[in-house]
Amino acid sequence: MNANGVPGGGLAKGLAITLRTMTRRSHTQQYPDVSPELPPRSRGVIALLEENCTVCMLCARECPDWCIYIDSHKETAAVPGAARPRQRNVLDRFAIDFSLCMYCGICVEVCPFDALYWTPEFEYAEYDIRDLLHEKDRLGEWMATVPPPPAHDPNGEPAKEEAAARKAAGPVAS
Amino acid sequence: MQDMTADSLREVTVGTGAGLAPGAGDGQQLGADMVLNIGPQHPSTHGVLRLKLVLDGERVVSCEPIVGYMHRGAEKLFEVRDYRQIIVLANRHDWLSAFSNELGVVLAVERLMGLEVPERAVWLRTALAELNRVLNHLMFLGSYPLEIGAITPVFYAFRERETLQAVMEEVSGGRMHYMFNRVGGLKEEVPAGWTRRARAAIDEVRRRLPNLDNLIRRNEIFLARTVGVGVLSAEDAAAYGASGPVARASGLDFDLRRDEPYLAYGELDVPVVTRTAGDCHSRFEVLLDQVYVSLDLASACLDRVDRIQGPVNVRLPKVVKAPEGHTYAWTENPLGVNGYYLVSRGEKTPWRMKLRTASYANVQALTKLIPGCLVPDLIAILGSMFFVVGDIDK
Amino acid sequence: MVELPGVLGEPIRFVLNWGRRYSLWVFNFGLACCAIEFIATSMGRHDFIRLGVIPFAHGPRQADLMVVSGTVTDKMAPAIKRLYDQMPEPKYVISFGACSNCGGPYWDSYSVTKGVDQLIPVDVYVPGCPPRPEALLHGILRLQEKIAGEQSGLGGVNRPDPLAGAGVAALTAPPVRAPE
Repeated sequence: MNANGVPGGGLAKGLAITLRTMTRRSHTQQYPDVSPELPPRSRGVIALLEENCTVCMLCARECPDWCIYIDSHKETAAVPGAARPRQRNVLDRFAIDFSLCMYCGICVEVCPFDALYWTPEFEYAEYDIRDLLHEKDRLGEWMATVPPPPAHDPNGEPAKEEAAARKAAGPVAS
Repeated sequence: MQDMTADSLREVTVGTGAGLAPGAGDGQQLGADMVLNIGPQHPSTHGVLRLKLVLDGERVVSCEPIVGYMHRGAEKLFEVRDYRQIIVLANRHDWLSAFSNELGVVLAVERLMGLEVPERAVWLRTALAELNRVLNHLMFLGSYPLEIGAITPVFYAFRERETLQAVMEEVSGGRMHYMFNRVGGLKEEVPAGWTRRARAAIDEVRRRLPNLDNLIRRNEIFLARTVGVGVLSAEDAAAYGASGPVARASGLDFDLRRDEPYLAYGELDVPVVTRTAGDCHSRFEVLLDQVYVSLDLASACLDRVDRIQGPVNVRLPKVVKAPEGHTYAWTENPLGVNGYYLVSRGEKTPWRMKLRTASYANVQALTKLIPGCLVPDLIAILGSMFFVVGDIDK
Repeated sequence: MVELPGVLGEPIRFVLNWGRRYSLWVFNFGLACCAIEFIATSMGRHDFIRLGVIPFAHGPRQADLMVVSGTVTDKMAPAIKRLYDQMPEPKYVISFGACSNCGGPYWDSYSVTKGVDQLIPVDVYVPGCPPRPEALLHGILRLQEKIAGEQSGLGGVNRPDPLAGAGVAALTAPPVRAPE
């Protein structure tokens, strides 16, 4: 029934493949010993740069399953020289429930002040589901692992960071 | 077939002589009919499809697929989410072809809004959709032989999958759920050098695919299990609304990429793989040959991407609202025709978004295919229908 | 659960835990997307057999570890409870992915169970949607740490049954009307 008509040909072919594979290097990644190389865009966990957050609540509103919790209060600070004291929002709590998060990246995308970043970290499995709710301290720790974004393809539009940098450099650079 | 009884209820109904008139119940035979449940958790259903079988010894008398074990109510959830949030849910109903699912949603919204997508985005979308098709097919090329006893192909299939998933992850950040489509284009530009790396990955997969191909396509045991088993005629395929590789294996020459081109398929020459036998083996062969076709299409698209300059999305207001009206977009998903019927009342969420999924139509043909076959053949037939349970139940 | 004599307890416990953590016969309760990543983890590239996780359990009755990967729907819930009950002690459960952790993307759906921990006790929660294969490997390592520290005897550790308080009657009872 097989292609060359010899009975048992399939078996011989299979054994030949086994023998050939035996002599080759395996492509297994030795994960716990060797950490994987992940691309910078990899969506592992969301890091928070607290200083940039202005409590605009856009991320919490746009999240498709509403897993971001934000608390804040207003603070008034008298600015010398200004007619009225300035008000600003102070972030009290910023928490992401990673048991609920669906890793879509909408919050990172909508954040107007670049307070949220993706990092490829993935090692945060927990014994208790309540521990998956990460507060701003933990989210801030992940900032250290944020990789620089990759350069865009020269055929397309440059990244917004790149465009902003070019604009800041002024007409001298161009 | 050892673990057929993983969670199967075994009901045995024994006839009691004259008390049971022939043909009394639902046309079942007088005497001992065994009702056997395969599923909902069963190794060969790769998912949670449940089949209720009435057996006469080893032969299946009737088969009723019971769906709904994976029903997650996604269509209802669409109604309270805006168009960007919908994409997140839409790519999860058929988890093996996430990119194609996103595509259907954004095509429907774009059509309703009358948006023109930049050319570069169109070609990138086409390339990614074809890569996604390869990923989907590789999964079935691995799992189908596994279900009928050949273990090795799945290792080859996943090796290739990992190669391509790395490419997809580099561009979108996700291994399975890419979330890379947006209304009006793509999320962002691809990284520099990505097209080169993607082409290298495609070449590598194309080079190594014969390992899988030579191993299984003409394997005598595989042929014995699949040739002539579960023959679906072209008429039946059309009657049940089957589409995709399942229908094309029966000789139903229908492929939206060629017959009603969307994206950039109109400018590409899409060879449609068909077979006429309609048995399990031809369904498998269609899948295998489509992988070659899709790899070629993807690299052709990448070549075009390299020649086109420009943005990959259009600037849209913060809140995207589709105007009042309705539209139906359909795409050739890896598993068949997926349709998206979008009704909008002019708000930022759809009023209704109905999914027409390929797997749901394809498994309906099981009621026709399975009665009369043997239980071991049932596994071969079930595996060859290439369905994703989330796509059936939505 | 058999109590061990005090003198022998510690060495025997060490041996038992050592044996348990490196021969986890796994039963994949594959339900949705995450099941594909589970399969990817069992394949050549990630290969969790390196960690002593053996994916050849023929069914729940031969398994030590159940990985619930995917959305648990209310229709599926009785089957999960039943298969868990079929597993012999000691048994462990990994909840893999957002859906089985707490319903995830479908938490506001009418047909989805909000987390598999409402049905069966879960040892390790792996976050992700779907988590990458390395995340499952990390979850397995966490589970092995947990097993190593277990104060168990011959019969495994007793875990609270999430459904114990509720009872079957409460689950099948008709809905209660709100007082007028």
